Amino acid sequence: MFRYLRTIRDHRQLVADFVRRDLRARYVGSSMGFFWSVVFPIINLIVFTFVFRMILNARWSDFQDGTTVAVIMLMGIVIWSAFAESMSRCTNSLVENSNLIQKVVFPAEVLPTYMVISSLINMLISFPVVLAAVIWLGYVDPITDPAVLAKMAEAGDPGFNLGPSLVVLPLLLLLQGLLTAGLGMFFAAFNLFWRDTFHLMGVALTVWMFATPIFYPALAVERKGFGWLLDLNPMHWLIDSYRRIGLNGQWPEWSRLGMLALVSMLLLHLGSSFFRSQKNRFPDLL
Amino acid sequence: MYETKKDKALIGGGSAIVARGLGKTYRLYDKPIHRLWDLMLPGKPRGKEFWAVRDVYLDIPRGSTVGIIGENGAGKSTLLKLLTGITHPTVGEVHVDGRVASLLELGAGFHPEFSGAENIRLNCSILGMTDEEIAERFERIVEFSELGEFIHRPVNTYSSGMQVRLGFSVATSVDPDILIIDEALAVGDEHFKGKCINRLNEFQEQGKTTLFVSHDMGSVKSMCQQVILMHEGRVLEQGTAEEVADEYLKRAHARGNDRLSSLNRTIDAYPRWGSGEVRTTTVEMFAEGNKPTQTFEPGMPFRVRVGYEVTGDCADPVFGMGLYRSDGTYVNGSNHYWRRDPIEIGPVRNGEKGYVEMAFESLPLLKGQYYLTLFVYDHSKPAPTPVDHREHAAVFEVLDGRQMQHGLLFLPTRWTVARSGQDPRSSQE
Repeated sequence: MFRYLRTIRDHRQLVADFVRRDLRARYVGSSMGFFWSVVFPIINLIVFTFVFRMILNARWSDFQDGTTVAVIMLMGIVIWSAFAESMSRCTNSLVENSNLIQKVVFPAEVLPTYMVISSLINMLISFPVVLAAVIWLGYVDPITDPAVLAKMAEAGDPGFNLGPSLVVLPLLLLLQGLLTAGLGMFFAAFNLFWRDTFHLMGVALTVWMFATPIFYPALAVERKGFGWLLDLNPMHWLIDSYRRIGLNGQWPEWSRLGMLALVSMLLLHLGSSFFRSQKNRFPDLL
Repeated sequence: MYETKKDKALIGGGSAIVARGLGKTYRLYDKPIHRLWDLMLPGKPRGKEFWAVRDVYLDIPRGSTVGIIGENGAGKSTLLKLLTGITHPTVGEVHVDGRVASLLELGAGFHPEFSGAENIRLNCSILGMTDEEIAERFERIVEFSELGEFIHRPVNTYSSGMQVRLGFSVATSVDPDILIIDEALAVGDEHFKGKCINRLNEFQEQGKTTLFVSHDMGSVKSMCQQVILMHEGRVLEQGTAEEVADEYLKRAHARGNDRLSSLNRTIDAYPRWGSGEVRTTTVEMFAEGNKPTQTFEPGMPFRVRVGYEVTGDCADPVFGMGLYRSDGTYVNGSNHYWRRDPIEIGPVRNGEKGYVEMAFESLPLLKGQYYLTLFVYDHSKPAPTPVDHREHAAVFEVLDGRQMQHGLLFLPTRWTVARSGQDPRSSQE
C-alpha cells in the first residue's frame, strides 16, 4: 500500500494532468460545462420529488414526506454514482489505455487512481446542491407542524441540520477514495485475466446498489431481519455516515467509521498488492 | 546542457545497452479462461509456451547507431520492448544506461483523445520531467513538428503523417540518451524526412545511441554502422552491414521464393482471353542453372521458360512477353518474331507441345516486384489476333542488398571526378 502511495506521489503531476484533462473532457463541447455537475443532481432531485411525493406518495416513516425522502435519496445517489462510475471505469482502465501500457513505460497505477480522484471531484461539485436543499428544508422553510415534530422527537430524528460534524467530510472522502481505489485496482488487474469481469461488474454494481439502503431506509431492512447484511456492507457504512453528517448535522457512528477505515485500508492494500504483483505482466496480457 | 551530456558520453565510453541471455516467452491459451485458471489454481501452467525472443546477447556501445533487421515475426518488436523496459524478460537480463525514448509504432504512447499539446505533456511527465522542463521543451517540440494550430486538436484527428511528426518531435526532444526508432516511422514528406535525418545526425554527433528497426537492409545500411539480423527470435548475425548483407539476402531469397511461388500457383485471378488454340502452360524463371526461382538480384542472368500446348490448329502463332513493375509501369516487351533475326513458327497442329524462352544476360532491373504478361497472337492475318493473352502470368522479385543505384533500371555508369591540379579519376560500373 505504501509503495502504491509512493508511486502515486512520484507521478503526482501525471495524475493531476489526467484528472484535469478528464474533468474537462466530461463536458467538452457542452455550453454549460461544469454547470452540468450541478444541474444533474437538481434534475434528479426534481424527478425523485415528483415520483415519490406525487405519484407513489412514498413515506419512509409516518413523519417524513416526499420532499424529505427525495433529499435523503439524492445524498445516497450522488455518492453511489461516484463509486459505481469509478468501479466500472477502473475495471476497464488498463484495456482502454492499452496504447500506453503496451507501447511506453507507463506507471499503470496512475490510471485507476486518476479515475477515482476525478469521480470524487465530480461528486464534490454536486454536493452544494444537496447542502442547499438541506439548508432550505432545515432553516429557510423548516417543519413547524407540532404533531410531526413530536413524532420526529420520538423517533430520534433531528431533521435537516448542518453542524460542526461537517469537518469529518474530508475524512469520508478520503476513505471513499481508498476503498474505491483498492477495489478498482484489483478489478483492473483481474479484468486482464478474465475479460468478462468488466461485463459482470455492471450487473454486480446494480445488485450491490439495491442491497444498499439508498432508495429505502436502513430501518426497513433491519425490521425484516436482514440487518446483518448492512453490517457487512461498507458502502452502507459510508453512505450512512455521509447522511448523518451532511443531512442531520450528527456525528458519525465512530465504531462504524473505524471499521470503514480499517476495511478501506485493507482493500487498498490487497488491491494494490495484487495490482503490483501482476504489473509486469500487463503488457503481455493485453 | 547538451555539452555536459556529450562530455559524459565521451568520458564514460562503455556500453549503452547490454543484454545477457535474453529470452521472452508468451503463453498461448486455447481458451481465454485458462489464463484465469493459471492465476488462481496451482499446478502446471496451461497453454503453450511461445518464445518470441531467446538467447539474445547484445553489447551496444554508447554513441553507436545500430540497425535491427528481420522479417515480420522475427522478434524485433519484442526485443525492443524488452530493451525499452516495456515488458520484462522471462530469462536473462538487460542493462540500459540512460534515458530511452522510443518511436515504435504509429501513435504509440499517445492518448488518442488528448490534444497534441496534452500528449506532449503526458509523454514528458511519463519520463518524469518537471513543469519547467516541459515548458522549456514545449515550444521546440511544436515548432519541430510543424503542426501549428493542430497542436490543440485531439490526436485522433491527425493524419498518420502528423502523428509521426509529433511522435518524432517528442521522442527526439526529451533529451534521451538512447533513441529507438522504427525506420518506417522516420519518414514523412521529403521535407520532414530531411529534418529527421539532420536530427538523427545531431544525435550521433552528440554521442548518443540510436537503434533503428527495419525489415529492409537497404534503408538501414545508410544510417547504421552495425546491423543485427534477427530470425525466429534469435540473433542470426551481428556485424557491419556488409557482413550481414549476405546472410540477409540468402534469407530474403528463401522467403521471397516461398511467398512468390505460392502466389504464382494461385495467380489465375487475372484476365486471360483469346481463341485458345495454343495455350501457355507452365512459367518457370531461372537465374543460373536449372533450378527455378522467383527472386533475383540486379545483374544476374534472367531466363523465363514458358511451356505451351496446342489444342486446335493455328496458322502462325507468335509468343510474346511483357514485363511490368508491380505499380503497372510497362518496363519491356518483345516477341520472337519482330526481330532483325526473327524465329518463324508457322502452322501448328493439335497435340503439339513445346516451350519458348526469353532471357536477359544480365537483369537490368533494380529492387522491386515485377510481373510478366504472356501473349500468343496469330500473325497470319494482317492485324494479329489474340490466341492466348494472359495478364499477370507470373510474379518475381528483385532483391538488392547493396543498393548502389536507385530507381527502376540498373544501368552501367561511369563517374568521373576532375579536381584542379589532379588527374581525373573515373569509376566504371
